Amino acid sequence: METTQATEGGGGGATGIAAQMEVEAFRRLFPLPFYKRHLLESVRPDARALDSARDTTISLGPVASADGSALVKIGETTMLAAIKLEVMTPSTERPDEGSIVVEFYMPPICSPMVRPGRPAEVAPVISKQLLDVIRSSGMVNLKELCLISGKASWIAYLDVYCLNADGSLFDAALLSAVAAFTHLQIPLVSVTEEGRVFTVSSEQEEKTKFELVNKDKRKLSLSSIPFPLTSVIHEDHILVDPTAEEETVMETSITLVLDALENLVSVYKPGGVGLASTEIMKECITRTKRRMQELKTILEESVSVMEVD
Amino acid sequence: MEYVNPLTGLRIDGRRPTEMRHLMGQIGVVSKADGSALFEMGNTRVIAAVYGPRQLQIKGQQMNNNEALVRCEYSMANFSTGDRARRPKGDRRSTEISLVIRQTMEACILTKLMPRSQIDIFVQVLQADGGTRSACINAATLALADAGIPMRDIVTSCSAGYLCTTPLLDLNYAEDSAGGPDVTVGILAKMDKVTLLQMDAKLPLDTFETVMQLAIEGCKAIAQYIREIMLQNTKQLECRRGS
Repeated sequence: METTQATEGGGGGATGIAAQMEVEAFRRLFPLPFYKRHLLESVRPDARALDSARDTTISLGPVASADGSALVKIGETTMLAAIKLEVMTPSTERPDEGSIVVEFYMPPICSPMVRPGRPAEVAPVISKQLLDVIRSSGMVNLKELCLISGKASWIAYLDVYCLNADGSLFDAALLSAVAAFTHLQIPLVSVTEEGRVFTVSSEQEEKTKFELVNKDKRKLSLSSIPFPLTSVIHEDHILVDPTAEEETVMETSITLVLDALENLVSVYKPGGVGLASTEIMKECITRTKRRMQELKTILEESVSVMEVD
Repeated sequence: MEYVNPLTGLRIDGRRPTEMRHLMGQIGVVSKADGSALFEMGNTRVIAAVYGPRQLQIKGQQMNNNEALVRCEYSMANFSTGDRARRPKGDRRSTEISLVIRQTMEACILTKLMPRSQIDIFVQVLQADGGTRSACINAATLALADAGIPMRDIVTSCSAGYLCTTPLLDLNYAEDSAGGPDVTVGILAKMDKVTLLQMDAKLPLDTFETVMQLAIEGCKAIAQYIREIMLQNTKQLECRRGS
């Protein structure tokens, strides 16, 4: 570890002591001045520009036992989403619609802050955000989850597990949920004489004597897929796709979700010290548009890779 | 149901009776953790993360001042088994397995070197196809090594059973739920000592000895594989350090 001359930066209280100190110690003891010095040069400690996001990868189908699954990594943040379908009777008000249940978990492996007996505060918040965004974007047409109107429909249980928490948790979670829905393959289903619905595995497809109810409808047609971007605000600087450290230091985050047609699906700025003027909001929207294009390309690539296999 | 085909002698997944499933281990999968590892035994896939040694979180738990406190939590993902089952956090099976893993790892960690601190081992099962207990212990060993926690030896674990009058190594879920005996063994590899031994269902004594020996052989093979992974990891670290 080299010793750097950390002479006075843009923060009070960091002058004399900081004169000769190792970089890592300065980073731990005076995080805000550390970041301020980087912001003066418009760069971040991991050498990213203020408006560039980390490397994102999507891989479809890691969980073989689930009907649809996806593993998403944004930098070090890792999310695993899996969908399992079960048959249920639809409600009487909506006899031709299925339903989606979303649950988000942060098991203790993901972060030193999460301990048994002290679950992460943000987990239920992100869980609700996910459900709201998936519902309001209208990405999944619930009518496609119907099997027999009034008698049987699918309920899709979406479980998202955070395996490594390093900032931008909602972004990675939403992306993994979207990717899992893209990968979802609805199982073949048949009905017995008593009216009981059961799944037919693909090997039995040719041999079965029962009538297959949904031979053609195997994949969901997703419309207006939502793409998110979280940024943190500090005075007039906007840092896109923050790491966990940046989120803790800057304290004010804003999440925007746009769909493929550039409609605003969700805006989430839960209070915080930093105030956002209209210019900053407009700037965030521009950045989100750009990120959306990036994510769209990455998602399409991962789908075509899977289809090649 | 014939778990061992009488003509070919192969099991339902095409393995021979003394053949283990395909092993795959990877160190350093969770960057936030002090040490982490992913371990696969066939279709069983498990992630272990180790946080520690760190400050005692709950003062009241400090029973013995001279040793580190080892804690373990085992949990299964909702989609890990064939049917999605809503798993309450503290259900009996998870608590029992957490206790078993904790006591097995306590046997090998040199706790006396880290007094007044705690070491947390968290294990998450992503896919379950039999032998989750063993996969968790193997993953925890790799994760502890990645975290640099001093251990007296590596602990490996493997299961074995007895179906259709044949001892079988490394049971998968179908063979495990067949109702035959299931012996899980955990050993300290170099010291050749058994730390974990669990069996359910009835077995005559001499059959038990054969099955236990088979499981110990399996553990030694896994120890060999784990050593290779650790060596590879160290070589990579050396490379990155530039020496």
